[in-house]
Parts: sequence; C-alpha cells; structure tokens
Amino acid sequence: MSQILKAIKTILGLAASKPMTFSFPPDMPLTELHRGRQFYKPELCKGCKICSMVCPNNAILMVEREKSEENKTGLQPQIDFRKCCFCGLCVDNCPTGALSFTNFPILLTMKPETLNYTPEMLAIPPTLEHPEPPKIKNAVSWARSRSIWIINYMTGCCFIEAVPWVASSFDMERFGLIAVGSPRHADAMIVGGYVTPKTLKRIIRIYSLIPQPKWVISLGNCPMTGGTYWDSYNTIKDISKYIPVDIWIAGCPPRPEPIGVAVVHAIQAIQGGYNGKEEKTNTDAGKMKLPTYTLLEADSGQAQIDLVFGSQHSASGNFNMSLTLDGEVVVDATPNPGYLHRGFEKLMEYRTWIQNIMLVPRICVLDGASYELAYSGVSEKLASIEVPLRGQYLRVIQAELSRIQSHQMNLGFGGAATGFDTNERIIWGDRDQVLLLLEELTGARIYHIFNTIGGVRRDIQPDFHTKANQLISYLRKRLQIYDDLFFHNKTFIDRTQGLGVLTQETAIANDVTGPNLRATGVNFDIRTATPYEAYKDIGVKVVTATKGDAYHRFLCRRQEIEESLNIIERALDKLPSGPVCATRTAEDKKITWRLKIPQGEAFHVVEAGRGELCFHAISTGENVPYRVKVRGPTFGTILVMFPKLLHGVKIADVPVVYWSLDQCPADHDR
Amino acid sequence: MPNPQNILPTGYNAMNNEESEPLSFSTTLKSQFALNNIRIQSNLLSLTTDTTTYVNLARYLKEHDFDRCLTISATDWLDTNEFEIYYLVHNLKNNIYMKVAVRIPRKKPELTSLSTVWESAAMHEREMWELFGITFVGNLMLKPLFLEDWTNLPPLRKDFNWRDYVAQEYYKTEEG
Ligand code: SF4
Ligand code: SF4
Ligand code: SF4
Repeated sequence: MSQILKAIKTILGLAASKPMTFSFPPDMPLTELHRGRQFYKPELCKGCKICSMVCPNNAILMVEREKSEENKTGLQPQIDFRKCCFCGLCVDNCPTGALSFTNFPILLTMKPETLNYTPEMLAIPPTLEHPEPPKIKNAVSWARSRSIWIINYMTGCCFIEAVPWVASSFDMERFGLIAVGSPRHADAMIVGGYVTPKTLKRIIRIYSLIPQPKWVISLGNCPMTGGTYWDSYNTIKDISKYIPVDIWIAGCPPRPEPIGVAVVHAIQAIQGGYNGKEEKTNTDAGKMKLPTYTLLEADSGQAQIDLVFGSQHSASGNFNMSLTLDGEVVVDATPNPGYLHRGFEKLMEYRTWIQNIMLVPRICVLDGASYELAYSGVSEKLASIEVPLRGQYLRVIQAELSRIQSHQMNLGFGGAATGFDTNERIIWGDRDQVLLLLEELTGARIYHIFNTIGGVRRDIQPDFHTKANQLISYLRKRLQIYDDLFFHNKTFIDRTQGLGVLTQETAIANDVTGPNLRATGVNFDIRTATPYEAYKDIGVKVVTATKGDAYHRFLCRRQEIEESLNIIERALDKLPSGPVCATRTAEDKKITWRLKIPQGEAFHVVEAGRGELCFHAISTGENVPYRVKVRGPTFGTILVMFPKLLHGVKIADVPVVYWSLDQCPADHDR
Repeated sequence: MPNPQNILPTGYNAMNNEESEPLSFSTTLKSQFALNNIRIQSNLLSLTTDTTTYVNLARYLKEHDFDRCLTISATDWLDTNEFEIYYLVHNLKNNIYMKVAVRIPRKKPELTSLSTVWESAAMHEREMWELFGITFVGNLMLKPLFLEDWTNLPPLRKDFNWRDYVAQEYYKTEEG
C-alpha cells in the first residue's frame, strides 16, 4: 500500500513540477558547440584542396572561381549537404581557418539538389525562415494535418533523433502525431536513415499498404546518397528511385529540431491541400524482388503456427525473427538478421586510420562513444601512442555519459515493452539532458567523433564542471522517480521477474556479456578486469545481481547509471591538467589524417553499454587498415542466446525478454 | 518488495589478475602441445598453428576454463594466397584471452568446425562462410546470415571488386 501511495505522490509531484517539454519554436535547446552547417570565408582560402581530400564522404567538390593573390589555384570548396556528416575533419585540417562550423542544424528541402552549397552560398551565414502558413483549404485538410499517424519502422540510425519526439522532451503528440504499428492505420512514413536491400523490400511493401493520401519524410543523408555508406556494397543510394519522397532532411543524424520544422512544414502544406506525391513504386530492378510470405490459414488443423516477429514491429527494431508457436507459447525461434548490414569491416579497409573514427560510432547508434574508444584504443596500441592523462579522463567522462544515455534508452524500451509508456516518456526526456551535456563536451549529441588517434579533439569549456554537476544531481533525484514508478511497481515486477532467466553457465557458454551477464551474478566488467584509459585511477564499482531474469537485467542498468554518475563525479574531481591529445607517434612522426601505422596487429577490448566490445586490427604499414574485425557485444546475446531463451515464453513476453537483453541490431549486423 | 539499493555487492577491481597467470599458462601450453611461438601481450596469448592443433587445442582450452568463445574470424592474405582463420576465447576464471590462428590455402577454403566445442562458435562460422566463403566442416548452419540473394564473390574477400560492384549495382541501376 505504501508503495502505491508513494507512486501517487511521485506522479502528483511530477504534475506540479515544471514541464520537461522544450517549447517549439523558438527556444531550441541548442548548444553553441553543436557542429552545424559550415561557414566559409573566401578571402582566407588558398585553394589548397586539403578539405576535399580529407573528407571521408566525398562531400566536398573543388569548383573553379577567379584566381587571386591569396588563392593561386582559384579553387573553392562546394559542400554537398546530402553527403556531409559534420565530422569536422575538413574544418580541423583547413590550414587557413577559411572553413568553420556554425551551430545551425536545420537543413531540409523538397528538392535534394538544393542541398549542394556553392562557395557563395556557404559564405552567407545561415538563418531560418518560416514560410507563410497557407490558407486552410477545407475542414478535411485541416483535420488531416492535425492527426498525422506515422508508421513505426526503425530503419536506420537516424531514428535515434526521432525518438526524442516520442519522449516528453519534444513530445510529438502536441502536434497530433502518433506512432502506429500498422501501415493501414498510418498516414506518413519516415525513412529513418540507411536502407539496405533487405530493408528496402519491406519499405516498399509498407509504403504500398499505407492508404491514400500518404506522405514520406526521409531522414538523414543515407536515403539521399548513401551518406557515409556511399561505397557500401549493401546500402541503397537513393530511395527516391523506389518510392516518392516529400520532404528530405539532411544531417547525420539530423537533430530533433529539423524534424520538428519538417513536421510544421508538412502540417502547413497539408492544411493548404497538399496530398503528397503521386503513388508509385519501382520494384523492377533485380534487387527489389519482394519477399514472399505464406499466409496463415485459419483452422488448418495444425497444432503449431509460424509467426514473423519484426522487422517492422513496434518492439523489434530492424531485426527479424521467425517464431513457432504452440498456442501462445514459443516453441522455436530462428533469427534472421542483416537488415542493417552495411559491411563496416570492408568500408574500414578503404578509409585512413583517422577517417575511420567518424565511421565506427555508426556501428551502434545507441552507444557510439564506446566504438570510438575501442577503435582509437586499438590504433594507439598498434602505433604505440600514449594518450595524455587528461585526454584519458575526458574519454572516460564521454564513455560514461554515453553509457548513461544508452541505459536510459533501454529502460524506456523496457517500459514500452511492458506497457508503461510513462516510463519511456520520462526517462527519454531525461536522456535529452544527457545528450545536451554530451554535446557540450564533444560538439554532437549522437555521433560525437570526439576521439582521435592520440587523445580527444578538444578540451572542455570553462563551465563544464558546473553543468556536469547540475546534471549529476538532477539525475540522482530522477533515479528515485524511476524506482517509484517502475522498479517498485507490482505490475512491472510481475511482468519481468522470473522471466527469461539466464543461469551463469548458459550465459557464459553463449557469450553473453555486460549487464546481462552481471545480472546472473558474474563479476566481469572490462573496466576492472582489463582496465583501459584512466579507469584504474578512477575506480569502478562493478554492479551485479543474482537472479538473472529480465527484472534484474533492467535493475543492473539502473544501478549502472548511478555508478556512472559517481565515476563522472570522481573523474571531474581528479581531472589532471595538461594536454588532451598526443601530437606525435612513438617514432616521432606527426599524427595527421594520413598517418601510417607500423606493421602489426592488435586487440583491444572495452566495456560498452551492452558489454564486452572487441576490436582486432591488422596493419601492413599503410595509412589504411588491412583488416579490422569488430566483435560487438550483442552478437552472442541476440543471435545465439536470445532464440534459446524464448523457448516456453509467451508471445506477449517476447518483446520484454528482447529489450531486457538490450539488443542493437546495428551492432550485430554491422 | 525488492529494494534495488540492497542487491549491490562487491568492491573495486575485482578481477584485475596477476601478470604472472598468462605467463604460467603459456608455459603449460608449451609443454603440452610442443608450441614454441606463443606471443604474450599483457593478458592476451596468441599463436599460429596447424589445422590439427587448431582443433585439439580448442578442445583442451574448453576443458581448461576457456568457456567463452568471443569470435571466429578470418583475414584474406592475397600475397601468400591464404586465409588466416582464428578463434578468440576467454578464460573467465583467470581473465586470459587466447587467440589461435591457422592458415589455409585460398584454393580450398575448408576447416573443421568448432561448433561442437563452443555453442556460440557456429554463428561466427556462419558469418565467415557468408562473408569469406570458407566452409567449416561439421557446421550445420552454413546458410546466408546477413545478405539476401547474394550471387557475387563473398564480399569481404580482397579480390571482390567492390567499387565496380557498387557502381554497377547501385549507381547505374539507380540512374536508369
Ligand atoms: S564535416 Fe566531414 S563529411 Fe562534412 S564536408 Fe567536412 S570532412 Fe566532409
Ligand atoms: S577551405 Fe581551407 S582546406 Fe579548403 S581549399 Fe580553402 S584553405 Fe584549403
Ligand atoms: S549514417 Fe548518418 S545519415 Fe545515415 S542513417 Fe546513420 S545517422 Fe542517418
């Protein structure tokens, strides 16, 4: 009873406190440091072409302009925002300071060609113009514009920035937007990032099932040009060849604000009577054969039926699994991954050691920082580069913040899977505060690209300590709320305790790691077992639990958030002074974007949010790796353990078990 | 009612092992298998061996607390016309990682499967089968994992002309 009273008190407290939602527009929660649209000063440029050579995405084309005293070649950069991922290599490497970043995040259009910015356009500081709202055509168009339902299909990593719109921080429901699971209920589709051939077939199918009128919004560079994966053997380069797209949003990923601006534009256009482009799909090209499904026959007398879970399912992520059911109970499960396979290990062989840093966090969007860390670590081992202590501390802070937001994401999904939407709204709203601090630290919310070989790319701002301490005390208070609403809640306990129980032996034999393994009582955390960076100095208290069920896996993550806050606090207290990045290798060569790494091979393991992440790299002495193997933490957990764990589980509990394991299809698919 | 505060055990650096353990284990291995090329880098032991020892060593390691198979992976060495295949396993009791590699000719890419030794090995072998075209004899799972309707050379092979493939399959088709 006292628990119920406590929960009621918490809810009343929340109702009485300041709303978590950012107003929209105008006060966007932007930081000064966000890496947004570049600004170009032609008078400084000397036409050296370095910016175009260093760009890993081929986004910069040198175009001819008048020659001058300063610019002898007359070449000036033209940046294609259909391709640029704002990694910052061009700005970092420009010798004259002609290129710099603004914090302007909004790049969207109905005609993608207009995103190719000439030097003249780049020299104009960016501004946001809101279009005149058109006249409302009639009651139907007004009603339509205020109740856009969006199909819930998480195609690629851009989806991560659509998530805040579900949370209380951005709150899409105030615009009448709802995410729905069935295409037949939907009005609009958001293509959230890269599309592999496997995904494309599902997209086409879903698109054709949405009733007229329908609208398509494309998020990010990948659906426009392939983006970062412009040369991947398994990524579609231009989605508009297959289905019509109404609004394109550039960015990698775009921040939540441009998504909001796009929605406002869409609402206005629909009010004015815009009914989307003419429906058409292109399924002729050989790759696009649609998959065949066998329809279930009712009353066929079969005792068991087969059911497809994912890839388009509100709880599946972009991952597919076929389940065999006996009544309500799963008797067999077969995973069918690959919807997010972009061929990272191949791509990395064609980018320089430094360029790869912008690529690796994209392996797992939920916790990219750990991948930067692991990759930088393996490269530094190979090149025998020592990272200065301050740099190591900042890396720890970045990694722990990333762990916190990753665990928050998971707790939110845990709430969604068990029917606790409140949970997802509140925790994801808090997650936005963590992302803002990450942006203060690194210049980006999701793909920080904060690390480089030798350390981190920049030092903290003077007010970082204050902001971080504010966040720490805020989150500590919020953890109590999570307990009251969630972990002490009888319904949640009943749904998760005793479900999907892992024993130590099976977990170890099936290569389960991270919080999932620790929830069975195994004390194994790379931060203490094989300490890297400054973890030994700072100290880590390993969180374990004993029951190994879904509840305790969630609980372990909740506890790890608390421990990460402590780690960050200790790290800030002890933060040593000095440089944040090494500039020369062991052989006293300068570290540049074309750095050659001596012949050899190395392994590096780090503790990512989902567990042990392992990189193996081989160098033949070139400026590109010969081979990189990424062994992500979810490979064993999801592809090997999860299907076995489902035997005997009721169909309604499948998503609960799934999210309690903290899956990331992008990680095991690579 | 469980209290999340009450289930927290254990202190700092619970598992950071002694430097000497990998060393003493490598001495044992050397005498058992007549191996003389074991490299030790902190808690990682690595060696290259022949196809028979590759399997025998796997069984031995499994019996000696190397319960976790992290990955089975391959590298394509065009210059010597060989595939290098290795497994990376971990001993949780003593916190030792061990990498065992073997080289096989590219012409006949076949190797005994370790799926009967470690449960998680089969899925990694399946990935290598798909991305490198290496057959693991005894693995019952060898079918496509990530790709659908792939007819070209296995994509991670060094001689797969991937820029051509991308130009042809994507840029050209999407133009036309
Ligand atoms: S920020 Fe990165 S991707 Fe964008 S133009 Fe510069 S180098 Fe290219
Ligand atoms: S912008 Fe900078 S890097 Fe690019 S050509 Fe001009 S001076 Fe060189
Ligand atoms: S790589 Fe960038 S543009 Fe592509 S899906 Fe991921 S975030 Fe979006």
